[in-house]
Amino acid sequence: MSARRVLGGAVLSLVTAMPLALVAQWQGYPTPRIPRTADGKVNLSAPAPKTADGRPDLNGIWLASRAVFDLRQAVKDIPLSTEGKAIFDQRQATQSKDDPSARCLPTGLPVRALLRTPFKIVEGPGTTAILYESGTRFRQVLTDGRPLPKEVDWAAWQGFSIGRWERDTFVITTGGFNGKAWLDQAGHPESDAMTITERFRRKDFGHMDMEMIIDDRKMYTRPWSINAEFLLQTDTELLEFICEENERDSAAIGTKP
Amino acid sequence: MAKLLSALIAVALSTAVVAAHHSFAAEYNANDQLTLVGTITKVEWTNPHTWFFIDVKDPQGHVVNWAIEGGAPTVLYREGWKPNSLKVGDQVTVTIALAKDKSKKQGNAYQVKLPDGRCVFAGSSGPGGTATDNCTPGRR
Repeated sequence: MSARRVLGGAVLSLVTAMPLALVAQWQGYPTPRIPRTADGKVNLSAPAPKTADGRPDLNGIWLASRAVFDLRQAVKDIPLSTEGKAIFDQRQATQSKDDPSARCLPTGLPVRALLRTPFKIVEGPGTTAILYESGTRFRQVLTDGRPLPKEVDWAAWQGFSIGRWERDTFVITTGGFNGKAWLDQAGHPESDAMTITERFRRKDFGHMDMEMIIDDRKMYTRPWSINAEFLLQTDTELLEFICEENERDSAAIGTKP
Repeated sequence: MAKLLSALIAVALSTAVVAAHHSFAAEYNANDQLTLVGTITKVEWTNPHTWFFIDVKDPQGHVVNWAIEGGAPTVLYREGWKPNSLKVGDQVTVTIALAKDKSKKQGNAYQVKLPDGRCVFAGSSGPGGTATDNCTPGRR
């Protein structure tokens, strides 16, 4: 065996060993293609990147700058209808014990965006995917120009989403909810009449604003908005979050189905 | 010592933002807190929340095993914790919100302090990862 071959073997094993070591350490692996200052820190106030067709590029991992579990933390006056208030009051009185998410069922879209777990936006042709770390769930936002379905014969926990650009703002409209999720852990309700509009605007490299408009005339007297800011998370990746793995709380509080 | 303990609890209370995460309020009483010193007997690094179990000696010398619920592993992981950060045999000091069901020896951890003084706000109910004044943030 020549020295060269041995060396080649050594290099090969280094090459195969390195990615393995890195696989175990995605937390801290530098995200490629992001502006950094001379000392290697991410320059979060650099200009927002653009896609090839000149639109703001929303790809990335995002985390709410402030975690919100109860929408009253973020919204001053939530205009509950009589029906909505009755449901909300009942959930408050029972300390949210029936929250579907405590049994690993989906959270409502507002609180899911505002949890302490990030989400990843992946823009593809015709579809923008939103991958949520919480519960390892995804949403697909169809951007091929189709309208929302006029009639929904099978309502969905997360509804049906379409997306379009309004200048530099990505606007997602979602309808066809089954009304079973809770908007937050406090118990703000949603119904099958709800439409949600999300307006995302990436201000600069590291900051993205969202306005989420809840329009649900059964549970609320008028449309109302939740405003939030998301911070780009770099040198990290989404982690697996299989909620069903060891969910003990619902048995403890007596709501296990 | 009692004074120190109450000061510690006061600090924990002031920094803990208690939200109804995962029906926290249905299961635990945020105003009923206790600090325990014990030895870890089992660790469950699992979703949706981590759990660990500690043997604690009561004043009569009887050993009681407590079940302690911690934060979501993904959140703790980003704080620098690893699945093997807590090991069976480690002695820890934990501040917990007690379970409402007093027949159980169970609590939700606000803070876990390791023997070397590092600690992490481990509560599953709040923003987490915030070290209190008398604690060094845990990173291991």
